[in-house]
Amino acid sequence: MLPAPFTADFISRLEALRLKTRKQFLGSRPGSYSSPRRGTSLEFADYRRYSPGDDIRYLDWGIFARSDRLYVKLFREEVDLFAYLFIDASGSMGFPSPAAKFSRACHVALALAYVVLANHDHVKLHLLQQGGAPVASPFYRGRHRIMDCIDFVSSSTPSGPVEMAPALAEHLQRLRRPGKAILLSDFLMAPASYQQGLNLLRALNLDISVIQVLARPELSPPFPRGGLALVDSESRAELQIQWGGELRREYGERLERHNRELKSFCHQSGIHYSLFVTDGELDEFVLETLPTIGLFK
Amino acid sequence: MEFLNPTALFGIFLLPLLLVPYLVRRAPRRLVFSSLLFLRELAARSLGRPWGKPHLPPIFFLQLLLLLLLILALGEPVLSIRPLRIAIVLDNSASMQALEEEKSRFELARERARDLLRGLSANARVDLYLTVPALAQIGDKGLAPGAAPALMGTLAPYDLGDRMVDYGEELSRLVQEKGYERLFFFTDHPGRGGGAIRLVTIGRPRDNLAVTSFRIARLSFASKQQEARIEVTSFSAKEEKVKVTLKGGGRILASRALTVGARKSVATSFQDFPAYPAYEAEIEVDDALALDNRRFAVAPPSGALEILAISPRPQALYSLRSIPGLSLQVISPEAYERIGSEGHSLEIFHFSAPSLLPRKHALFVLPPVENPLVAVGRPISRPTISGWREPHPLTRYVNFALLRPPYARPLKPLSFGESVVESPDGAVAVGLERQGFRYLALGFDPFPYLGRENLPMSIFTLNLLEWFNEALRGPGAATGEPLDLGARAGETVISPGGEKLIVGESAALFSRTFFQGFYELARGQRKEIVAVNLQDAKESDLGDPAPIELKGEPAASGSGFSLFAFWPYFLLASILLLFLEWFWGRPAAQA
Repeated sequence: MLPAPFTADFISRLEALRLKTRKQFLGSRPGSYSSPRRGTSLEFADYRRYSPGDDIRYLDWGIFARSDRLYVKLFREEVDLFAYLFIDASGSMGFPSPAAKFSRACHVALALAYVVLANHDHVKLHLLQQGGAPVASPFYRGRHRIMDCIDFVSSSTPSGPVEMAPALAEHLQRLRRPGKAILLSDFLMAPASYQQGLNLLRALNLDISVIQVLARPELSPPFPRGGLALVDSESRAELQIQWGGELRREYGERLERHNRELKSFCHQSGIHYSLFVTDGELDEFVLETLPTIGLFK
Repeated sequence: MEFLNPTALFGIFLLPLLLVPYLVRRAPRRLVFSSLLFLRELAARSLGRPWGKPHLPPIFFLQLLLLLLLILALGEPVLSIRPLRIAIVLDNSASMQALEEEKSRFELARERARDLLRGLSANARVDLYLTVPALAQIGDKGLAPGAAPALMGTLAPYDLGDRMVDYGEELSRLVQEKGYERLFFFTDHPGRGGGAIRLVTIGRPRDNLAVTSFRIARLSFASKQQEARIEVTSFSAKEEKVKVTLKGGGRILASRALTVGARKSVATSFQDFPAYPAYEAEIEVDDALALDNRRFAVAPPSGALEILAISPRPQALYSLRSIPGLSLQVISPEAYERIGSEGHSLEIFHFSAPSLLPRKHALFVLPPVENPLVAVGRPISRPTISGWREPHPLTRYVNFALLRPPYARPLKPLSFGESVVESPDGAVAVGLERQGFRYLALGFDPFPYLGRENLPMSIFTLNLLEWFNEALRGPGAATGEPLDLGARAGETVISPGGEKLIVGESAALFSRTFFQGFYELARGQRKEIVAVNLQDAKESDLGDPAPIELKGEPAASGSGFSLFAFWPYFLLASILLLFLEWFWGRPAAQA
């Protein structure tokens, strides 16, 4: 059963969308995305001197009339897309509750997966989890496979610490086809950590998009004033602080600076970046915010 | 505006303590957070300080306001001008002699009263009162505040117990009758006043020991040997060791060490000591109240028990002369009406009765129907004794199964009295005490006294003579109790303090027995001594004084409103706010 935000109206509007890629990939089947290969699409690519054996239907008779030379028109090949959705399943994604943050991130991922599946492209879901073998779904194709996607994300719960770069590296070792990579995480980690991870994706020539998912209590913690013993949701490390207005302000400034650095890095690296606050509306984010950053055509 | 209880305003100095919970770092609340990445550096700066940055929420100021109002309410603010009609009532009962460190409670009460007077307007008028022997005004009416302390300096507490009165009602009536704006009652009893009456409690609970009983008696009316019985009572919470001393003629006659348990009494007796007219028992102990560490007693009469028998059948009574220690005179009822009973200590009315109860100890044997003591029933022959009071001095050692008088008449007290011996038809012996005199009415004739020939009746006869003899030596008088000295006008009474008091023209009783000790009546060449003691054990119990309930009488005039009545509500509201603050201050819901 589809999660609550996936209403009939929302789904019908998702079907009208298509992921946009800024790179050309070698697909496996004919599709709607440009390939570096020459093919039989309607999009003109180049001319080439006629060689015996070429299909005379592609001869440009206009050029022959003007220059008495035979040239054939070359067209781009259009192929299908392979989309990879990486979902951070570390412990911090379970704050303030798995339903409030991790599930919301999964909803975004499912919406993107549906867009891919509705266009008869391939989607694969990856969970960035603590230790062990990387957890990833098989490639799904066709909109009916959305239920498999739901089952896949529903079977996981966020827990433990996750180092982004090593976790991504594990997944990327098994990745054979280039395509579109979308990473959903809260990015509450040292900049060096997420930069290494994103650079790994860049090294594989993937078209990368980043969606940062934060809960409202992370943006403005609702702690009572006074002494607090805060426990890290991933490492379980304890930290004693004296919470007050000044600390709240400084925390807000540091988080904002951190997000700014992330956005700046993405911009410099040619990565789409967007921030999703979990108490926002999913359809509004998917249908209005994501198109503005160029994720959809 | 002024404050009737300005001491409470010192509570304002405690208000800063309210800051402490807000300043002291609370025990950290444990919360799970997604990432401590940005908090680690910030935490390093805030740790290591025992005091947090003061965080004063609005509720703090509400609490401060309520506590301030509470303190003001306890200070009892009044909008009135300073009261002009003041009454100061000083408790001058015996317990006010108790020492608090170096000063007595009465001295402390005087000092508190002086402090109070200093704060009064110069136009105010003060009346002074003492509580014992009766609530009475001292000195002139309407004293100036400056003049009252001088008068108070002349006052001293008496050796008297508190009166059994409702002080609340009595003082309220005084306020209403005299129109006082304020009445201050300085006492050592706890309690609280309301309205125009202010109770000022002096002193705190103290341990104390007291000699609660002291009696010198002959072992029997036929014996010349004396016995001193002393009872010591502890009003202390712990066991005490005391030395009891018997004194006579200014010398120590005997002493003994006693151990008295907490809130227990111990009795001891001394025998074989020289005869003196008066004796003193004393305990050597360093306690709060010295007054009750001494007690006085006079020696019992050394002569024989002087009996006047009034009987139309004197023969049977002559047998009493066989009992040693008795002096018997027998007269007829007609002669009694004529000569009276001067000089005798016991009267026996045998088949006769006077028209009025005599002011002497008296035995009525088969009184006629017309008598002032009992109603006499129908005669019964050889009655059996079916009941008797036990223990009772009259029934001691008597085998009532063998007591079979040949003839009896049942008796019934006319007004009061207790049945001592009963037959199936009614009481045959009725005893009563009135105004210090003992009366016994017998429905059978115990005479003649036959000695061993009728042992039960003889023992009963000796018992009743001993019972009367015991009353003769008496426990002495209590302070405040009028003494029936039989003094005539112009005779002198010397008080324990050596003061000579001339008995007035119409004084049959001497009532100024405010101090314990020996009162000496100089009657020409003859001197009569009476021992007077404090006999109110409640005065000695300094650890648990009875509280005084005063009614909240409105002041006669002046005062506008008082916040004092609302202080419990302020307190309640403060506590509620503290709870609310606690509720709001709980950690937020966490993942």
